[in-house]
Amino acid sequence: MGKTADLLPGTLDMLILKAVSLKPLHGYGVLLRIGQISGNALEIPQGSLYPALYRLEHQGLIAAEWGQSENNRRAKYYSLTEAGQLRLREETADWNRLAAAIAAALSAVPEEV
Amino acid sequence: MVRRLGSSLRTLVRRRRFEDDMSEELRFHIEQYAADLVRSGVAPQEAARRARIEFGSVDTVKDGCREARGLWLFDEIARDVRYAVRLLWRAPGFAVAALATLAICLGANLTVFAVVDSILLRPLPFPAAERLVGVFNSYPKAGVPDDGCSVTNYYERRGKIAAFTALAAYRDGTAIVGETGATEREQVTQVSPDFFTTLGRGPVLGRAFTDQEMTAHASPVVILTDAFWRQRFSGDSHVVGRTIRIDGSPATVVGVLPADFRFLSSQARLYVPLTSRPEERTPLRRHSGSSMHMIARLRPGATLAAAQAAVDAHNAAMEADDPEAKVIADAGFHSIVVPLHADHVAAVRPTLLLVQAGALFLLLIGAVNLVNLLLIRASGRAKEAAVRQALGASRRRVVSEAMVETTVLTLAGGLLGLVVGAAGVRLLAVLGTDRLPLGAHVVFDLRLALAGLAGAIGLGLAIGGPVAWYNLRAHTARALQSESRGGTAGRAAQRLRHGFIVAQIALAFMLLSGTGLLGLSLKKAMAISPGFRPENVLSGRLYLPGMGGVARLAFIDRLMDEVGHQPGVLAAGVVTEVPLGGNNIKSAVSVKGHRLQPGESAHGHYTYGVGGDYFSALGFKLREGRFLTAADTRHAERVCVVDEDFARRYFPHGGALGQRLFPGLQEVPGVEAFTIVGVVAAVKQAGLTDEGAQGAVFFPYSGRFDDNLFVVLHTSRPPESLAATLRNAVRKVDPELPVSDLRSMESRIADSLVARRSPALLAGLFSGIALLLTALGTYGVLSYSVAQRRREIGLRMALGARPEQVRDQFVALSLRLLANGTVLGVFGAWLTGQAMQAVLFHVPAFHLATVVGTAGILGVVSLFACLLPSQRAARISPMVVLSEG
Repeated sequence: MGKTADLLPGTLDMLILKAVSLKPLHGYGVLLRIGQISGNALEIPQGSLYPALYRLEHQGLIAAEWGQSENNRRAKYYSLTEAGQLRLREETADWNRLAAAIAAALSAVPEEV
Repeated sequence: MVRRLGSSLRTLVRRRRFEDDMSEELRFHIEQYAADLVRSGVAPQEAARRARIEFGSVDTVKDGCREARGLWLFDEIARDVRYAVRLLWRAPGFAVAALATLAICLGANLTVFAVVDSILLRPLPFPAAERLVGVFNSYPKAGVPDDGCSVTNYYERRGKIAAFTALAAYRDGTAIVGETGATEREQVTQVSPDFFTTLGRGPVLGRAFTDQEMTAHASPVVILTDAFWRQRFSGDSHVVGRTIRIDGSPATVVGVLPADFRFLSSQARLYVPLTSRPEERTPLRRHSGSSMHMIARLRPGATLAAAQAAVDAHNAAMEADDPEAKVIADAGFHSIVVPLHADHVAAVRPTLLLVQAGALFLLLIGAVNLVNLLLIRASGRAKEAAVRQALGASRRRVVSEAMVETTVLTLAGGLLGLVVGAAGVRLLAVLGTDRLPLGAHVVFDLRLALAGLAGAIGLGLAIGGPVAWYNLRAHTARALQSESRGGTAGRAAQRLRHGFIVAQIALAFMLLSGTGLLGLSLKKAMAISPGFRPENVLSGRLYLPGMGGVARLAFIDRLMDEVGHQPGVLAAGVVTEVPLGGNNIKSAVSVKGHRLQPGESAHGHYTYGVGGDYFSALGFKLREGRFLTAADTRHAERVCVVDEDFARRYFPHGGALGQRLFPGLQEVPGVEAFTIVGVVAAVKQAGLTDEGAQGAVFFPYSGRFDDNLFVVLHTSRPPESLAATLRNAVRKVDPELPVSDLRSMESRIADSLVARRSPALLAGLFSGIALLLTALGTYGVLSYSVAQRRREIGLRMALGARPEQVRDQFVALSLRLLANGTVLGVFGAWLTGQAMQAVLFHVPAFHLATVVGTAGILGVVSLFACLLPSQRAARISPMVVLSEG
């Protein structure tokens, strides 16, 4: 495993929404998918995933449904709801703005000040 | 927000499923991870171990998930409830005492509230029932404050008063219903055609009455109540058009009322048209009201005052051409518009509210006891509370725990209280609530149960307040250092407990003295002589509809003959209405030669028709002249007997005998007057506590008869044992005639006092419980004080204090509490008396003997309650206590 980064507060929700927006996933699948799409750069404590999933479901941003896993076991699959899609778009835009602003701030050199 | 709440509730309802799913989901995750680890070459056992470790604590994750679902609040309450139940379970003595107190206090309140709710609070079962009003004629200066209305009033007013959308008249009565051989006496109400439109509810089958059916010669029609329809016609849906025999003539069924049709307290099972002849509708008969009532429906937006003004204006217009205008005006005539419901229950309102107040006092006393017990328990757990707060329990947690604990307690007590209340409603029916206006339909339903449980929860929160306050204070370092029982007591907590005891004594004082006043009123009322001899008199009601005068007299003659010779019968008589019978009607009588003085008005008097040996059967006392005899009736003599009150009013200087009088407002030319042949002692007519000295006139039955007739027997044996004899005698004379309402005069008198006796009995019951609770409360708190100060007492005794000193110290404490409570209580008793004025009879609001008696009883009981713990304090052994720790 390469170098990993700690999650910024509040970003886990965004990553989960992104992960399940690609295709419905079970909890463990969400973990793997985040690892995969972040190039294993983000370390998510396994346990903290579930309260986040339950909270998002409670907020109606994702929906859960029981289904069959790839090895034929009963598993709970999460998918993005319409409200979730909206939220993901907003958060992505917000994040991009923030990231750009911070990147710009951090790349400032003395002459520009 | 709504969706989230829904999600929480869904989860809550399917909690087991939620938990199972969550476990399965997490297990799946761990196993899946372990499987992946195995696939990457880790040994299976090691993989399982690593998967579990890396996942972290499953319980913590689960808690996180539950919290995410908003379940923490429910979980916390559920945890507190379990904790509270466990605590109660561990202290069964306390739990039983507390639950019993609550069950009795809440049950008593629910019982009384069931009655208050049914009678005073629930609207009448009609649409916009608050707009229904009653209109009645009043002649206050003639001593007739409520005279209903006349047929003329009805025909003159309907459609003429703009403040009303509808106006109707009705008259309650009875009828013999059914075919020969199977007749029954039924309550029947005569109503005008607009009766049902005024109420806003009418027949569900068929139609209401028409104006044509109001004439005396119209062919009879009838509307059935649901109960009658089901019973007599088995609910036949084609009943309209069929006939039933009412008072001998066939009446056609034109309609059936809905099942829940209830008009005030009416027991009527049939409704028939209120028929009248044209001459009854003329201005001449405008003031011959009696036994007819008027109801109306206010126009939306019209106020009671507007309606009153409109009726006044209408009356004034009508009076312009009234031949009796002067007499009527002298009698103070006016019509009064009242809210129908409030007026119907006005007489019982003060008593009901008083009893409810008594029940609330009981609840307060019980609640105070409970708070004190809980505070004592809390101080036993002060250290625990302090430790928990030191370990980080928030103030909110401490408060919510206390609230949940007390609410669990009061809710459980409330559930038991529902049982007590349901039983209590039955008990109250025995005590006579079913005879109160609207009292026949007192129900213990869901609405009441919910009110009870809401009350229980409210009580729990209220009681939880002081307990929470105490627990919050317990977090000081001092509580941690001090031993849980011993050392310095929380001064403030002690003051609070003592304050509660004082309040409790004061409340009990008010309840007891109020009960004393009620009891005294009852005693005074019972001591009143009815004016006749009630012992050994049997009375029963007959109903003789449509019988001609001659047939009537022949019937009475035969009946008197038949019944008078039965063994056990000393004297027999008949009368149109027995004293205290409840339907004693006043009507105008004019004395020949009596000129009304300016400002004096014609007066209403009780008038009766009597036959047989009525006066001796009821034991009237003769003052002058003679009684009426059977011969007077038989020969239709124009003679009469008056009572002292009547004689005194018109002949203050004596000489009533030989004077002449006429029924009615004035002498009618060509009609022979009645000569007074006797004066009898006054008899209570409307009620024992009736003080009007209204005056009564007794005519021979031939001179004044009525469809209703009472037979009165003076018996040499217990009167009830002759009931069968009377029935048989009546049956011999007329096999179709049922006798109803067969009772001794003593039971009628007892019944007439039910409105005084039942509240006094209930108040007595409440007082007894309150006294017990107060004694227990004082005992409990003082016992605790002693136990708490064992070490201190032991130390003092070791240093030389004598046991009597210790005992006296506690006795002095309780005396101080008692004295404070009594001072407050005396003041409260004065307030209570003021508030009770309306229901007291010949008893002042502040009755010294009652107050002193109350103080005595409370003093003895409280001292007794404090002596035991004080003695215990005096017996504390210094050696034992000091060696304890």
